[in-house]
Amino acid sequence: MNKMEFTQLEETLYHEELPNGLTVYILPKRGFSKTYATFTTKYGSIDNHFVPMGETEAVQVPDGIAHFLEHKMFEKEEGDVFQEFSKNGASANAFTSFTRTAYLFSATGRIQENVTTLLDFVQSPYFTEQTVEKEKGIIAQEITMYDDQPDWRLYFGMIENLYQNHPVKIDIAGTVESIQHITAEHLYTCYQTFYHPSNMTLFIVGNVEPESMMQFVKDNQEAKTFDAPAPIERIFPDEPKQAAVQERTLEMAVQKPKVFVGIKPERLDLYGPEMLKHELSAQLAYELLFGRTSKFYHESYESGWIDESYSFDYSLESGFGYALIGTDTNHPETFAEEVKKTIHQAVEKWPFGQEDLDRVRRKKIGFFMRALNSPEYIANQFTQYAFNGMNLFDVVPVLEQIEVADLQEAFAAVSAESQQSVFTIKSPEKQQA
Amino acid sequence: MFETNKIAQGVNVHVHQTTQFKTINFSIRFKDRLTVKNASERAILANVLQHSNEIYPSHTALRMVLDDLYGTSLYIDSTKRGDDHIVNLNVETVNDQYLSDKGVLEKVLNLMYIALFKPNLENGLFKESIFKREQESIVQRIESIIDDKTRYAQQRMMELGLPDHPASINSNGSIEQVKQVTNESLVAAYKNMLETNEVEIYVVGDVAPEVITSHIRDYFRFSNRKQLPEKTQSQLQTPEQSRVLEYEDMKQGKLHMMFFTPVTFRDEDFPVMQVLNGVFGGYAHSKLFANIREKESMAYYVSSSYASQFGLMFVLAGIDRKLEEKAVSLILDQLNEIKQGHITDTEVEQTKALLSNQLKEALDSARGQIDIYDQYMELAEDFEPAYLIERWEKVTKEQIAQAAKNMSLQLTYFLSGKEDASDE
Repeated sequence: MNKMEFTQLEETLYHEELPNGLTVYILPKRGFSKTYATFTTKYGSIDNHFVPMGETEAVQVPDGIAHFLEHKMFEKEEGDVFQEFSKNGASANAFTSFTRTAYLFSATGRIQENVTTLLDFVQSPYFTEQTVEKEKGIIAQEITMYDDQPDWRLYFGMIENLYQNHPVKIDIAGTVESIQHITAEHLYTCYQTFYHPSNMTLFIVGNVEPESMMQFVKDNQEAKTFDAPAPIERIFPDEPKQAAVQERTLEMAVQKPKVFVGIKPERLDLYGPEMLKHELSAQLAYELLFGRTSKFYHESYESGWIDESYSFDYSLESGFGYALIGTDTNHPETFAEEVKKTIHQAVEKWPFGQEDLDRVRRKKIGFFMRALNSPEYIANQFTQYAFNGMNLFDVVPVLEQIEVADLQEAFAAVSAESQQSVFTIKSPEKQQA
Repeated sequence: MFETNKIAQGVNVHVHQTTQFKTINFSIRFKDRLTVKNASERAILANVLQHSNEIYPSHTALRMVLDDLYGTSLYIDSTKRGDDHIVNLNVETVNDQYLSDKGVLEKVLNLMYIALFKPNLENGLFKESIFKREQESIVQRIESIIDDKTRYAQQRMMELGLPDHPASINSNGSIEQVKQVTNESLVAAYKNMLETNEVEIYVVGDVAPEVITSHIRDYFRFSNRKQLPEKTQSQLQTPEQSRVLEYEDMKQGKLHMMFFTPVTFRDEDFPVMQVLNGVFGGYAHSKLFANIREKESMAYYVSSSYASQFGLMFVLAGIDRKLEEKAVSLILDQLNEIKQGHITDTEVEQTKALLSNQLKEALDSARGQIDIYDQYMELAEDFEPAYLIERWEKVTKEQIAQAAKNMSLQLTYFLSGKEDASDE
């Protein structure tokens, strides 16, 4: 078992890659009663075009299938897996993102039993045409629920604006129509391709003894047989650098118009330490330009162009990413213009120096330290980073090395006008005051 | 869990010294009786105090000093619990033992003092532009609830089911009342809060209780206060209508049901109601989830929740708008099952295990420790989780069935999409 010590943070992370390819991380948290475990496959909504394991021809599967598969993993011939967890006092859940499907539980006792349930249920698929049909009603309601949420529509509308071909533009749950095409056979194909241990990570954090837990996981895995690991062939279309749509408006009943300005990053092929440094640098740059201490925020708030819903974010994955700046506002056009103007001015003349950098860096380090109190944050964020070749615990050292020039360079890659887009949601009938 | 010291009449400091967290958390809670007027004023007040102060007169200046203190988070919000309205100053800061920088804690205490006692005043009033802006901000916050259909439906049901009752008062007050607040009345509300409210101060982190308590006593100098007026037990009254149907421009139907139970937080049967709620619809193993969602595939979410302050039970479900009647009847069937004692040992055991798991888990966050202690200290002065866990353990199936029999459906509220708008 390998051991990484992060002295200043007083954390020790244990990890091992098992013979079947599964990567296991264990992070003991002193003083915690709970243990939180995530079992994650590197398979999300964007993986809809691939060569199935053991075959040679690529297939394209219906939209929403990774999420559908996530739902179906919980149902077994002998009943519902939630019941298993409940018996052992654990609350279980799962989520599907663009790039990942994660199964998780948290519990304050019977941790070995719960880890066994987690590993076993994810590693024993059971789908029938009948249970697949039955699930369609539930997921249709889930999709309908999201359809009624303007903030979700705004977020997805923006991503559709930015991406022309990349499957990130497809809603994670698919549509009520697309899920009708999903069959049990599809689910088995996806499962067999993406749920091999070598494509998965187990992360256990909390009140746990690392040595015995690692041995316990090993024993569980050794009792099962898997095919030899093979590389997964995923197919992604070419994606142009510029935003697919410059501007678009959706009519939907909202109290106040909602607007996002989105910027598509120039480099979508970053990986590992290079990606970490770029992402952190760009986040700091955007914090300076659009954060709570920025000139932009101050002026916009005083002028009434933004309200409490204002937010900004930069995130990057392999193949896609976005900076988003948005708010509810009665002045969506002005807001979008001001955002664009702010970006333009920063491109022309970079306005920030060492002191600014030091301040936002301290803020980010503080945020990170606070986040380390949360087992959920550690497990989820660590896994997402690991799938992109990054180590969560490198965040502070990398932050400490970043220089003003790095911010400027990272910002330059996420600022060009052709990469920008505006998406607005407005009420059709309502006259805005 | 917490070590409590009274620093003035009606002002207590509760400290939990622990190495569990890398940060130090503070929460200063000002408690007053809940009225629409109070809630409206204090929602604006929280925003105004959070915006800026005498020493850091702009939002930017205040946020910059917080960033410099390793992104110390400082926010002031207002909330309600039962018949109380609470203004809460929340602060979380990195414990400087993890930093090369020392002296962060003292600076943070000073900032908390400034935030509360050195407001941004001009000739005895809050700066007019800030007051106006934050008043408008609260109006918009209340208006925006309609964009979240689940919250909106719940609010509508409460307004219709329990008008003029604390249970239906929004913690931000009402648009009408917020608009009536003047700068003068806000200053009066501010003084009232500082001088007459009961104050509970919480600290969680690796700090010595006697040291931090004496710091707080020196910095804040709270005066003695009289006891708040006695709570008038607000009676639940049967609503005028038992079923209401409303329409909005939306696709999913939102079904909300309100039941009266005679049992509140302070009653002997409180733990019975918590277990009943778990068996009925509180968890993924519950009767509602297993039958309405898993068996009938009618909903993505369907659950029950127990509002123990008032003795109310709610059921919420997102369903196809054509299925209201069927859903209501299936939900009532599940309750009938419980009334007739058709409860399995497994259902009861699972619920007890999850209740106790949830409680222990909540205590793994500083915020959770503060919230739980603040709520339960009324029941037991030296509150420990074991106190509740033991009470749940004793709950029997017969008690659950009996408690279910005492529940009465008061209002079924359905928020539906317009026929033409939602057929696609």
